[in-house]
Amino acid sequence: MTHPDFLWRNPDPKPAYDVVIVGGGGHGLATAYYLAKNHGLTNVAVLERGWLAGGNMARNTTIIRSNYLWDESAAIYEHSLKLWEGLSDELDYDLQFSQRGVLNLAHNLGDVREGRRRVNANRLNGVDAEWLDADEVKKFCPIINVSDRARYPVMGATLQRRGGIAKHDHVAWALARQADAYGVDLIQGCEVTGFEITGGRVTAVETSRGRIAAGKVALAAAGHTSVLAERAGIRLPLQSHPLQALVSELLEPVLDCVVMSNAVHVYVSQAHKGELVMGAGIDAYNSYGQRGGVHVIEAQMAAALELFPIFSRARVLRTWAGIVDVSPDASPIIGPTPVDGLYINAGWGTGGFKATPGSGWVYAHTLAHERPHPLAEPFALDRFTTGALIDEHGAAAVAH
Amino acid sequence: MTYDLVVIGGGPAGVAGALTAARAGLRVALVDSGARLGGQYFRHSAVPGAEPGLGRFLRQGRALGERADVLLRHQAWSAAREPDGTLVVHCVTRSSSAPGGGAGERTVAVRARRLLIATGAYDRPLPFPGWDLPGVLTAGGAQALLKGSGVVAGRRIVVSGTGPFLLPVACGLAGAGARVLGVFEAGVGLGLVRQPLLALDKAGEAVRYAVGLARHRVPYRTRQAVVAAHGEREVEAVTVARLDKAWNVLATRVVECDTVAAGYGFVPQIELGTQLGCETRHDVDGSPVLSVDAAQRTTVPGVWAAGEPTGVGGWRLSELEGRIAGLAIVAGHGTAPRTAPAPSTDAAAGPRGDLTTARAPAPGGDPAAAAGRPGEQEMPGEPEVPGELEMPGELEMPGEPGEPGVPVVPGVLVRRRARWRAFGEALQRAYPVEPGWQGWLRDDTLVCRCEEVPLARVREAQDLGATDARSVKLLARPGMGWCQGRICGYAVSCLAGEPPRPPRRPIAQPVTLGALSESGEASDRAPADDPPPHPNPRRSS
Ligand SMILES: Cc1cc2nc3c(=O)[nH]c(=O)nc-3n(C[C@H](O)[C@H](O)[C@H](O)COP(=O)(O)OP(=O)(O)OC[C@H]3O[C@@H](n4cnc5c(N)ncnc54)[C@H](O)[C@@H]3O)c2cc1C
Ligand SMILES: Cc1cc2nc3c(=O)[nH]c(=O)nc-3n(C[C@H](O)[C@H](O)[C@H](O)COP(=O)(O)OP(=O)(O)OC[C@H]3O[C@@H](n4cnc5c(N)ncnc54)[C@H](O)[C@@H]3O)c2cc1C
Repeated sequence: MTHPDFLWRNPDPKPAYDVVIVGGGGHGLATAYYLAKNHGLTNVAVLERGWLAGGNMARNTTIIRSNYLWDESAAIYEHSLKLWEGLSDELDYDLQFSQRGVLNLAHNLGDVREGRRRVNANRLNGVDAEWLDADEVKKFCPIINVSDRARYPVMGATLQRRGGIAKHDHVAWALARQADAYGVDLIQGCEVTGFEITGGRVTAVETSRGRIAAGKVALAAAGHTSVLAERAGIRLPLQSHPLQALVSELLEPVLDCVVMSNAVHVYVSQAHKGELVMGAGIDAYNSYGQRGGVHVIEAQMAAALELFPIFSRARVLRTWAGIVDVSPDASPIIGPTPVDGLYINAGWGTGGFKATPGSGWVYAHTLAHERPHPLAEPFALDRFTTGALIDEHGAAAVAH
Repeated sequence: MTYDLVVIGGGPAGVAGALTAARAGLRVALVDSGARLGGQYFRHSAVPGAEPGLGRFLRQGRALGERADVLLRHQAWSAAREPDGTLVVHCVTRSSSAPGGGAGERTVAVRARRLLIATGAYDRPLPFPGWDLPGVLTAGGAQALLKGSGVVAGRRIVVSGTGPFLLPVACGLAGAGARVLGVFEAGVGLGLVRQPLLALDKAGEAVRYAVGLARHRVPYRTRQAVVAAHGEREVEAVTVARLDKAWNVLATRVVECDTVAAGYGFVPQIELGTQLGCETRHDVDGSPVLSVDAAQRTTVPGVWAAGEPTGVGGWRLSELEGRIAGLAIVAGHGTAPRTAPAPSTDAAAGPRGDLTTARAPAPGGDPAAAAGRPGEQEMPGEPEVPGELEMPGELEMPGEPGEPGVPVVPGVLVRRRARWRAFGEALQRAYPVEPGWQGWLRDDTLVCRCEEVPLARVREAQDLGATDARSVKLLARPGMGWCQGRICGYAVSCLAGEPPRPPRRPIAQPVTLGALSESGEASDRAPADDPPPHPNPRRSS
């Protein structure tokens, strides 16, 4: 099936809502869904300036895993992964969630040490993790070149068997359908341009379709969050970068797991139809143009081909970029802001797709109870003043 | 290290632009993906025939080869600007001695201070039931096979579509021995004769084709079109319909044949321009084309466009635009490429209205050449057929060359371009695509052949709320396959009820991962008299 067999309504905005969610990507839709489902809040609108899930949700490479290093991260991502494991049933829609295993390659002794440490840390946190040496990597994924003469020799890898991929548009459609069924208004073509703040409290949003009063406003605008927050007078420690990916022509099935290499900034999987989906590192410059420079991915592709010489003749049909919001410690920011009633959920950077259900879950809880969900607490904005950072940069600042 | 000018496309526009600049002493490279210069109109086999105008074009090509680097079989897939302002065109070329995999592909980077985009156009097909059967070709494809390789696409051929360019296709095929069972023009065809503009020059050509069709007894029928192709494994027959004004089917009959050549206008190839950020506009027929000023400059400094990427109007217009671009590039040579869009003084209306004015000539350069004295810019070649290229009075040049404010593009060329453009626009107006074709489709007719998306899926996506082609794509996937919407893009836009949007393809032509990975250290193609380039240090990650 290539598209949903159902409709969601296309409502006009009402004058007021209990909760207005800004941004109709995966996180905004998941938040709306869990607000309704877990907390009975349905007087909710999701305002999307374009079409639903046309931002990073439509552009990401859909890797799902939970093998993060620190306890706080492992907890929230593992919570998310557990939700993924039941999500197709819960939403009554085939999300093509495929737990095919995610390999993270180690190319030098530093990587090896870091990988083994991560496996131990993961296990202590109840996250499944294995260490494979080079031969085992070859067995698990025969098309990887493990020759020690390679520029980036494979010295081993971590493996999370429960990791994998899902079909991003199915995820968005399924969440949208359920949220809509609960009575949430999904409003497309409605850009938030400003906030009405009275006595330190947000009371409404200004939009391209007029003023909409709101009890609470929840930002879920990914790469555009810092621009929005600035309109409410808040400066966020976020930088927006283009992150690139590409897709090849259709190939016969050759790669049945996900392979990531932080050191060379590439990650590869083969989608259900047969195309290779490859992601690259972020463009070093800040930008809001959803278009990265081709020069940025050349070196990464060279490294990728050394790992997978078999792909050198596969034709690239298209490259694209999404704008990702990167925080100083490569961890998200979830929770209240200095403006009463205004909440943020941002900074998921290059790796927020996997968090979609988990992030929606804790954000909805935070909004409903007006205090952070325990899993969200460590990710509060004030960690950048207290110094309690959760550094997930990993080997090379990519965390997909 | 860098050329003064790189031209992409070796059709009439590209060759005219490159030659004009090379003759003025600029260091020029021209890249074309084909094995020979020619583009669509002057495509020819290894042993060229005697088509009208071809001899003259070939002489231009030879003259260019003596003065510039002509890089054939070089496919440009990306054009970008380096931080220092240099424009770099990334190409792949096939060669047996290629280092490392990549299907024998080698990557070449051509650097230049200026770029001329002359990439032509390709046919605009419309879907119809059976258009995915072997034996259905585009008109341009059938013509390219014939002109380029001497291959006749079939034995019993039906030509269908709209526009005068179907005529040369039918004539060529009939002349090569195929039985052309008919040219089915969905519009009103030669009604163009009633357009006053046709009286200008084009009439001669139309008459030539009419005579050709008569000689081979090829019927030419207007308000008729192939609306379905039938066959088990390949085309065995087609349904030809009589159409009303809006192209709704009035009556049908079946014609047995083995080949269909169909075309409904053109899609200008502008990806390389949009990659660089050039602004676009919609041409009369709805096609997105690059916006250019009087000197063929795009809105991006240092980037010119000529020929079909700026609008389709036949090869003469393409050549003329190429030449004007060449003159303007020569005139601007020696001044630093601007970093802001053209200041108003540049294209300011001179005393004669629409003239383009020159800056100071290149220091040390030949002022006459730099200012583009037309007598010296003229293409080498046989004496011009009167009325075909030359017009009396062209050689007059007011003022001294080199003075600021002196026209670099002779007014006569500017006026002629205006005439040809008006002609091209009149053609587009005279042969519009009418919406009735959508009624030719059945629910199961594939709209997108790569992703096998039938009409029903597109309609369902619209029921889901998709109101534009992009949302249709996100929901139903037309345009997500091999051709990335080059073939089905126009049809999907029509079905979605909006004009086609400019392409957003960071990769202008599919390229192998091998080539992509090498492009960071692609061997630089440098002008011959330069020292060898330093190898690019490998980017560290
Ligand atoms: C190339 C690429 C590859 C990636 N790969 C992975 C991966 O493999 N695994 C993984 O876990 N993550 C990955 N990510 C990251 C992931 O896509 C994001 O972290 C995640 O999608 C962000 O959340 P979202 O879906 O809500 O964002 P989005 O889908 O971007 O949603 C934000 C929405 O807010 C809207 N918006 C913005 N401003 C306004 C406004 N003013 N008013 C109204 N609406 C507004 C936008 O239009 C957009 O639709 C990748 C990202 C990219 C770009
Ligand atoms: C079927 C058909 C019949 C026609 N009949 C007539 C006619 O009778 N009279 C008439 O005046 N006109 C006719 N035309 C139109 C005529 O072909 C064009 O007007 C003329 O060829 C346009 O010249 P051009 O230089 O703009 O582009 P083209 O001649 O198309 O040249 C473009 C060149 O650019 C090259 N190129 C494109 N992209 C790349 C890339 N990325 N990398 C490298 N190279 C690239 C192509 O290989 C090509 O050689 C016809 C066209 C068609 C399709």
